[in-house]
Amino acid sequence: MIQIDKVSKHYGVFQVLTDCSTTVSQGEVVVVCGPSGSGKSTLIKCVNGLEPFQAGRILVDGISVGDPKTQLSKLRSRVGMVFQHFELFPHLSIIDNLSLAQVHVLSRSKDEAVAKGMALLDRVGLKAHAAKSPGQLSGGQQQRVAIARALCMDPIVMLFDEPTSALDPEMVGEVLDVMTELAQEGMTMMCVTHEMGFARRVADRVIFMDAGKVVEDRAKDAFFDHPESPRVQQFLARILNH
Amino acid sequence: MAYEFDWSSIPGALPFLLEGLGVSLKITVTALVVGMVWGTVLAVMRLSPIAPLRWFAAGYVNLFRAVPLVMVLLWFFLVIPQLLTQWLGLSPATDVRLTSALIGFALFESAYYAEIVRAGIQSVPKGQMAAATALGLSRGQAMRLVILPQALRNMVPLLLTQAIVLFQDTSLVYVSALADFFGAAYKVGDRDGRLVEMLLFAGAVYFVLCFSLSRLVQRLQARSAAHAAAL
Repeated sequence: MIQIDKVSKHYGVFQVLTDCSTTVSQGEVVVVCGPSGSGKSTLIKCVNGLEPFQAGRILVDGISVGDPKTQLSKLRSRVGMVFQHFELFPHLSIIDNLSLAQVHVLSRSKDEAVAKGMALLDRVGLKAHAAKSPGQLSGGQQQRVAIARALCMDPIVMLFDEPTSALDPEMVGEVLDVMTELAQEGMTMMCVTHEMGFARRVADRVIFMDAGKVVEDRAKDAFFDHPESPRVQQFLARILNH
Repeated sequence: MAYEFDWSSIPGALPFLLEGLGVSLKITVTALVVGMVWGTVLAVMRLSPIAPLRWFAAGYVNLFRAVPLVMVLLWFFLVIPQLLTQWLGLSPATDVRLTSALIGFALFESAYYAEIVRAGIQSVPKGQMAAATALGLSRGQAMRLVILPQALRNMVPLLLTQAIVLFQDTSLVYVSALADFFGAAYKVGDRDGRLVEMLLFAGAVYFVLCFSLSRLVQRLQARSAAHAAAL
């Protein structure tokens, strides 16, 4: 579903990503973890073309992201993305947030879009808040709406960029629950997260990145129980303590 | 000897003064509307990834912000009537002063509005554009549906303040002898030898109008600050 081949990226003289390669098969849940500045958010933003890259190739469902001939907006409509700071549109109501892209990108009728939006709001447990504005919701609620907004587009894969990092600890659970359900329903997911408990429960594979490189890329149990790289061992030792 | 105030010119001149006020308001509203529309287009062009659009918008804005309004008005007053009478075949006696004033103000104000709207666009968090494009919206759609509505909402106090300044600036059509409110007051004062009283009166009217509007702007700012703090 996603194929990342030797992707490199630099900002001026600063090398952000070096030769990153991995694949995500259909239905797989891949967690990307690592220290701040390791390039994990940048890598995931390269997958839907939000960040350009200078070398390598990324294929999403066979379509090359870096190819200038690719219609990026069409590709992006099939790739859902959830951001650390939710990024709901504050000037629109919740239901309008959910229907906007459906109407203007997928050319659905307003009624169709609203019906779909309400169904997905119900799925994340927030149907009662449809007419409110984003500012009236808590962080956890906003993030669940953001997930619903991405799902309204019927994506083939969902990308999560540290979805719980900006949340109060008490609200992390409600968002992770939605993501877990999504994974169990067979959605292909690539998540950048620090939530190792979530990774342990739900991921199929875990990727560790450091300083712009993919350091380890293994099946979940192998990653947690027998990490090869000393850097990963150090990381796990530090974070699994608390 | 103290100056003896004589306000008797005012009542009789009121119709003429009101006509002048009408001209001032007509220019203000036209320049406001065109300024907002063309200014928004310029702001979006200024931020466009297409270089020639960027350059044109930057050049336009820098030009009109670097020359005095009075000069722009005079330039338009001297040139436009000639062009119009040539193109439209009007008789040289036609009064195109109002038209040239409208064009001059509209083009001039657009440059200022472009900067306000540009600041507004750049004040919208970058994540908004990312989220909009991640959903598949084109850059143009994202601008129209997500960024501009937020930008304009943020900029309402500045836009209104610029409108107040614009209203005061309409007095500059004085240089083309077009009778706006200030020009009308001056003419009456000149004719009756009561210039001091007329100018004081005109000043008072400007003050009342502009001060009321600026209080409204302050209330709007306080209300949106309270609204933002409550979130």
